[in-house]
Amino acid sequence: MGENNTAGFKDNEEKMFDEKSFEDLYRRMYPTLKKYAIYLVKDMEDAQIILNDVFISIWKNGTIISNEKAYLFRAIKNAATNYHKTPKANLWHIDSEEEATEIIDLKETPAQAFQNKDRNRILYALIDQMPERRRLIFYLYRIDGFSYKEIAALLDISVRTVEDHLVKGFQFLQQKVLKNRSEFR
Amino acid sequence: MDQETWKLVLEYLAVKENPRSSNTEIKLLEEKLNDWAGNDPYRMEQLQEALALWQDTAQLPDDGSWKESFASIKEQLNQTPIRKFKILKWWPAATAAAVIGALIFFVAGNKKPLTITQSPVVWTTKTADPGKIISVMLPDSSEIWLNSGSSISFPQNLKHADIRTVKLNGEAFFKVKRDPAHPFVVKSQNIQTRVLGTSFNIRAWKGYKPEVTVITGKVAVSRDSAGGQSAAIHLLPNQKVVYEIKSTSLVRENIDDAKASIDWRTGKMNFDRTPMEDVFQTISRKYAVKVVTDQSFKNCELTAKFDNVEISEVMKTIGLTLDIHYTINKQIIYIKGGKCN
Repeated sequence: MGENNTAGFKDNEEKMFDEKSFEDLYRRMYPTLKKYAIYLVKDMEDAQIILNDVFISIWKNGTIISNEKAYLFRAIKNAATNYHKTPKANLWHIDSEEEATEIIDLKETPAQAFQNKDRNRILYALIDQMPERRRLIFYLYRIDGFSYKEIAALLDISVRTVEDHLVKGFQFLQQKVLKNRSEFR
Repeated sequence: MDQETWKLVLEYLAVKENPRSSNTEIKLLEEKLNDWAGNDPYRMEQLQEALALWQDTAQLPDDGSWKESFASIKEQLNQTPIRKFKILKWWPAATAAAVIGALIFFVAGNKKPLTITQSPVVWTTKTADPGKIISVMLPDSSEIWLNSGSSISFPQNLKHADIRTVKLNGEAFFKVKRDPAHPFVVKSQNIQTRVLGTSFNIRAWKGYKPEVTVITGKVAVSRDSAGGQSAAIHLLPNQKVVYEIKSTSLVRENIDDAKASIDWRTGKMNFDRTPMEDVFQTISRKYAVKVVTDQSFKNCELTAKFDNVEISEVMKTIGLTLDIHYTINKQIIYIKGGKCN
């Protein structure tokens, strides 16, 4: 993780937490953590097991380090590293660096979709169509507020690659939106 | 909008949202963006759209997908009494009751209340007598083959349980019905084996090191004793984990042929440098015999493979290998001599 985070770890400031905050934490962290775990182990079920194991051990310890976000992502990364994995070539290659993605359109016609649902939902439906790595980076950046540098460390890729994915992700959203501007507003 | 401009937009937004940024920094980037837009109405519109996109992606719409997976955590925590014990240890006894009360609400979830004092679940036990191998179909359609002298217990509501928990004594081969929403957990001796849908063999005889071998799919094995549950070891096909009783640790090994671990289903016996005590145990279970000997056979091992043959055949081989004399009288085998000691 980036240097700016190490201070949080050293503090080791622990707090007791109750069921409600445990559930809140899970709800808040689930979307990106799950994607991150899937990204690391390339398997939905394994990702689910790893994710829940991390949360169960947190609950059993009854405490969480103050910088919970960084802590959780690191815990998932550690769990995935310890996890004995065989690389699954087929999944891995879906999301290569240079891919030119032709992304499928929403099933409904854009006009319908844009009229029926709110903008935030539509945008995330579009984001979910992005290739796996790009989508994960988008979540890490926009939802969890990690910096380029932190994301680069989490995914073991370069800062430039992170930026590139984000830019392309936003470009993709903008193209979609501008194309359907009249219906969208 | 081209990539360079998007980079600029993102940089501008990051700086703007960072409370430590100076006004000058923000102004500078703002100017850069204005320079790009110029007086072009199309560019200005794009810029506005970009900033709107930023705003509208700030939050994730809650699709509730976390709920199901969180429910399985609650169920799991509800099932382990460890938590209750730990609370008592941590908090003063006076507040413990209140905390447990809160825990009851916590585990209540969105469905029916699942309190710690649940209505008793009826358990069914199936046993394979010595000399017999039986197959059991569980209520959730999982199939189990029980080796001679083993037993399995399962709750009658297994099919509807959030976590399908069964208890094993001895050795069994499992073909678990796939149901990712409802993990299947086998408790046996000191270990707990968790799967979603796969086939594997568990060897957990009392007094011997428990072993779990994976044939297909994946399983997670953890220590499950009074001291609490350990982190899970994950296994893939052709891997097994052995629980070392002395060091209370789980050791993962790669093996050549996992299927050999379920040869017992067809009556075969494989011994690979197996201590003679274990060999006699296995024989007495499989052939429903009693082995009587005046020797300890300590430090004595056997490596041999037997197809599904008569006990006389097995004893002939062992007799030749270890130079022992034996007599078989009905269901009792008397052993004398042997060069082990």
